[in-house]
Amino acid sequence: MTDWLNLNFIDSLRLGGEGMLHGGLPTAWVTVTLAGMVAALIFIQPRQLTHQQGTVAQYTTAFLYGVGRLVMISPHWLIAMRVLATAIFLLVIAAGLFGTAIPERNLATTLTWTLWWTGVIIAIYFTGSSWCAICPWDTLANWLVRQRIWFKSSIAKGLNLRVPKWLRTVWPASAMFIGLTWLELGLGITTSPYATAVLALTMVTMTTISLLIFERKAFCRYFCSIGRTIGAYAELSPFAVRPLQHDVCAQCKTLDCYHGNETIDPCPTHLVIGRGEEIRYCTSCGACVFSCPHHNVGWRWQSNPLQRFLNTHMNSSEAWFILILLALTSFHGITMLPIWESMVHATASWLNDRGQLMMTFSLFMLLALFIPAIIYSVAIKITSLTSSGIEHHRLLNQFSLPLLPIAFCYHIAHNLTHLTRESQGFITVLANPLGTNTLPLSMMEKHQRHLYPLLPDNMIFTLQSILMLLGFIWSIRLFQQRRVQLYLSSIKTLPILMVIIGASLFNLWLLLQPMIMRM
Amino acid sequence: MMIRTILAVLGIFCYLSPAVAHHVLGRPTYSLSENTTTPPSVQIETQIGKYFVTVMAFPAFPRANEAGRIHLYGQRIDGKGSLAAPITFKVHDDNWFATNEEMLGTQMPLENIYKQAFIFNKDGDYIITAEYNSDGEPYTIDFPLTIGKPLPIGTIGFFSSLIFVSLISINVIQRRRMQRMQTQRHHDDNGLS
Repeated sequence: MTDWLNLNFIDSLRLGGEGMLHGGLPTAWVTVTLAGMVAALIFIQPRQLTHQQGTVAQYTTAFLYGVGRLVMISPHWLIAMRVLATAIFLLVIAAGLFGTAIPERNLATTLTWTLWWTGVIIAIYFTGSSWCAICPWDTLANWLVRQRIWFKSSIAKGLNLRVPKWLRTVWPASAMFIGLTWLELGLGITTSPYATAVLALTMVTMTTISLLIFERKAFCRYFCSIGRTIGAYAELSPFAVRPLQHDVCAQCKTLDCYHGNETIDPCPTHLVIGRGEEIRYCTSCGACVFSCPHHNVGWRWQSNPLQRFLNTHMNSSEAWFILILLALTSFHGITMLPIWESMVHATASWLNDRGQLMMTFSLFMLLALFIPAIIYSVAIKITSLTSSGIEHHRLLNQFSLPLLPIAFCYHIAHNLTHLTRESQGFITVLANPLGTNTLPLSMMEKHQRHLYPLLPDNMIFTLQSILMLLGFIWSIRLFQQRRVQLYLSSIKTLPILMVIIGASLFNLWLLLQPMIMRM
Repeated sequence: MMIRTILAVLGIFCYLSPAVAHHVLGRPTYSLSENTTTPPSVQIETQIGKYFVTVMAFPAFPRANEAGRIHLYGQRIDGKGSLAAPITFKVHDDNWFATNEEMLGTQMPLENIYKQAFIFNKDGDYIITAEYNSDGEPYTIDFPLTIGKPLPIGTIGFFSSLIFVSLISINVIQRRRMQRMQTQRHHDDNGLS
């Protein structure tokens, strides 16, 4: 409850127009980005699409001689990192429960929302799904249920039931993602240390209960919205757990990566790593790395991650998850526009909504989810009507992939602003994680933070422009790849191309707008 | 060398640590009162009926047995005037089964601001209720107020109990399953049906 007070205090600053506002992308950068997008549309043509046998050769082992190699020598490094992440996680919970209610002075809110949640999205490009490997709520659940942080447990504590067939989709993760976004943007838990700690405890509890009831790590595969978000985005990362030689995996008879061995657990998400088809479910836990009798699996760097998508097939829940990601990342940007507050107030007045205006917020969130879904469905319907022989649902599933890079790159571009402008002063919070005897940030401190971000303004703008362009290029390349795979002409797929262009331009427009900061 | 290292570490620590006595306009935090110019402990802006209502509570960190004050200000949405009706302030504990509602007082606006003083004798989470009539309609605004810093034992207890009960229940079910399987195997081995 304490935190709700503070949440309202912070929100009131925003409502009262005292929240820090910073300018969006300068017009010059937008012009350059738009020019790049036009060039991409003209010059990116579908290539000859064959699954090259040389994909293995594209993996470079250069990275392995750095951190990757260190982690692969022994699981103890991984265990050490898990313990460290868990210790920090417990500190976050303690700070949230016992620390100050001032969000910018408490480790729970600053570390969770300003550093981790913004940083983890950026880190996905460079480290794939490595966060899942050191995920603290999974580590705690493992320790509680199996009394192990790693290695196979001799004790069968859980019921080890199979997940019911109707739950074996990513719909539960999608629902959780929508719920988390509602909590984050609607209820404002990002400005509430207490609610942040309660959310952390809820995650641990859910993971533990799932581990107790279901076999392997059903929570990671089906229920965890963070894991599924990381998994989806990690498909665009060049860094992933992959086999070194596909031939070795093709001839393997034991499939230790799937079944595990005497000391190592089986793959927690039911993957045969040698097939590499469902890399989005890989949690980088390292079980296959250490169980492979041929030492043929490890963290690898792939120069062209889009190559993977040649064999990627999406089911409808995965396709809709990508659409939800796209819709909610853009919605995140919308809620930080200066016009948002007046829009919400006007609608609330019309609806006679009171208090925290949650009904109005929920309505806008539903609209943000439905509008892109309807537009995409209509585009797919038009394409399916003109292309006889291809089912509507197949088109809907396959063409969702080109939307993924748009969501990912906008997400990073948006988070860059949060990370560089809001994480100032983190060292001070680290020195006093509970924020004992502290007062809210003064206006002077706020101004100082926003005047001196971690990176110079021009660098942030350059990175954002590059990201938006990169997202668009990836998206167009994936679109062309899918189009050729389905033998569809450019004219027939024009509605889908229009959706891609529309989503990219809308996100670019969002970055162009001034943005109200959270803290 | 050792002393220099210790001094360097201490120096860094002192540099990073925030000063314990924070001063607001030259006054230490322990001397803050409801009249001190500090940020409010709570500020809520809401839209109710034809009014935008702002509620604030002072001081920044209200404590038990220390005076505090609620400020309420209501302005018509169309900007034509302020709220002028008498407002009654009440308080009750912030929990689902609270029945101990108490009246704080009824106030008229002073320069458009309703000011209600309070003193709580116990730390805790409370809900303040402001009730008034406008254009023949009754209105109620509830907002939370935390006095002192209650320990969040309840939260920890709830989650710990949930995990503990889950662990125990599943363990018991699993043991029974194992026993049943052993019995079944025993029956199968002996050719019993």
